[in-house]
Amino acid sequence: MSVPERSRGVIALIEDNCTSCMLCARECPSWCIHVDSHGVTEVPAEGGRPRTTAVLDRFAIDWSLCMYCGICVEVCPFDALEWAPAHAYAEQAVGALLHERERLADWLVE
Amino acid sequence: MGEAQVRVDEVPLGGTRWRVHDLALACCALEYAAASVRLKTARAGDSDAELARGLDLLAPGPEGADVLVVSGTVTDALAPSVLAIWERMRRSRHVISFGSCANSGGPYWDSYCVTKGVDQLLPVDVYVPGCPPRPEALLDGLAQLRRQLAGVES
Amino acid sequence: MTAEWAAQVGAVLGAEVHDDFGVARVDVAVAGWLGALRTARDELGCTFFDWLTAVDEVRDGYRLVCHVAIPPSKGARMRTLILRTLVSREEPAVPSVSGVFAGASWHEREVAEMFGVHFTDGAGVGGRLLLSADFEGHPLRKDFVLASRVAEPWPGAKEPGESDASLARQQAARGDAAASARRAPRRRSRPAGVPEPGEWGPRESGSPDPDPLAVASDRKPRRGGAL
Repeated sequence: MSVPERSRGVIALIEDNCTSCMLCARECPSWCIHVDSHGVTEVPAEGGRPRTTAVLDRFAIDWSLCMYCGICVEVCPFDALEWAPAHAYAEQAVGALLHERERLADWLVE
Repeated sequence: MGEAQVRVDEVPLGGTRWRVHDLALACCALEYAAASVRLKTARAGDSDAELARGLDLLAPGPEGADVLVVSGTVTDALAPSVLAIWERMRRSRHVISFGSCANSGGPYWDSYCVTKGVDQLLPVDVYVPGCPPRPEALLDGLAQLRRQLAGVES
Repeated sequence: MTAEWAAQVGAVLGAEVHDDFGVARVDVAVAGWLGALRTARDELGCTFFDWLTAVDEVRDGYRLVCHVAIPPSKGARMRTLILRTLVSREEPAVPSVSGVFAGASWHEREVAEMFGVHFTDGAGVGGRLLLSADFEGHPLRKDFVLASRVAEPWPGAKEPGESDASLARQQAARGDAAASARRAPRRRSRPAGVPEPGEWGPRESGSPDPDPLAVASDRKPRRGGAL
């Protein structure tokens, strides 16, 4: 049962683009995006200033709360979130509608 | 990647024709209506024809219905009525929670008057995500339920 | 709002007419509320009652807003009018206008439930309209806090580089009084509608009750939170 390619069925995560900036989690009206990260401090070169970057630990979206408004997709400065057309992911348990980063990456349509 | 979208077509719908009643509370009911029109206008040979044979989405009431689809937001004030409708179904009954509001309260999870999911009141067999879910998602949810009851691994 | 309509309204109601986004608006005192609506219907010809609602203006009280109109007819376009009045927070009572517009009864019941405004001399239709039977409080007052938003931890409270586990460690460490004295807790982002910790909700025993006006005034998100 096919649907139009650009249908807004689910949101996919492009992990490589995510910097754990937290903007999606902050702007989400349903509070359904969960992001955990930790800071990694590195000295880029001998005598260089230490720099801390955030490394993504956990990225999860709770589809039982999501209202598919797309604010997270729009606000991400790094295009780490994208719409995908998949719509058939009903579950027997409501907890299974909480998708972690692996599942979110799977939704990506190349 | 999109392979999830063929789940509906996989499920054999031979056997008894399911009577499905929509507890139409809010916007999701319009997607339900779209699904019912789609099945009602399916012609022989359509991919939907098999679904239409197995599903009657226009059961007029909970009496005699096999499946109750809760489409929309359940408010605390209306909760007793929702429960009363479920109680009018016969013993062998199933419930599909359709859309975010029925799943968990959805975008109104923080409201002063919204029940956070119809599963606070009734046992739910399948949760269909979406806001609102597409008509195809409802059909997939129903197919998922049939698969569940037939003991088939999804 | 045409100049002609504004002049007519001003003359008949004896009040200053303002232009609110193209709609004529008049403010009246509570004592003159019923009379103004009757006059609007009988002398200005505003026979169509559109809606009546309220706004919690915090320190000023509750502002009742009523929208009436002259329906369009052949040769005459629709003219609309907004009437407003202010009732005090301490004694929010206003005469019912359901005698002038029967349809106002529903709207007044809604305002009574949502804001706790008391409509006197009304038709007295009882029972809950929208809220469930055991509901307590008046939800559209600005000091009515959505408890779910206070209880549920906001996913956006974390900064980049933090996790739920690291937040929990910080909070546990803050329990250590000596450490707290040395290190002031960092001000966290707060989503809209969530009061300062300690201002509402779980508090130490002996601390004062929340001040409704303080809670009502403090609605906006702090630093980075949108919704």
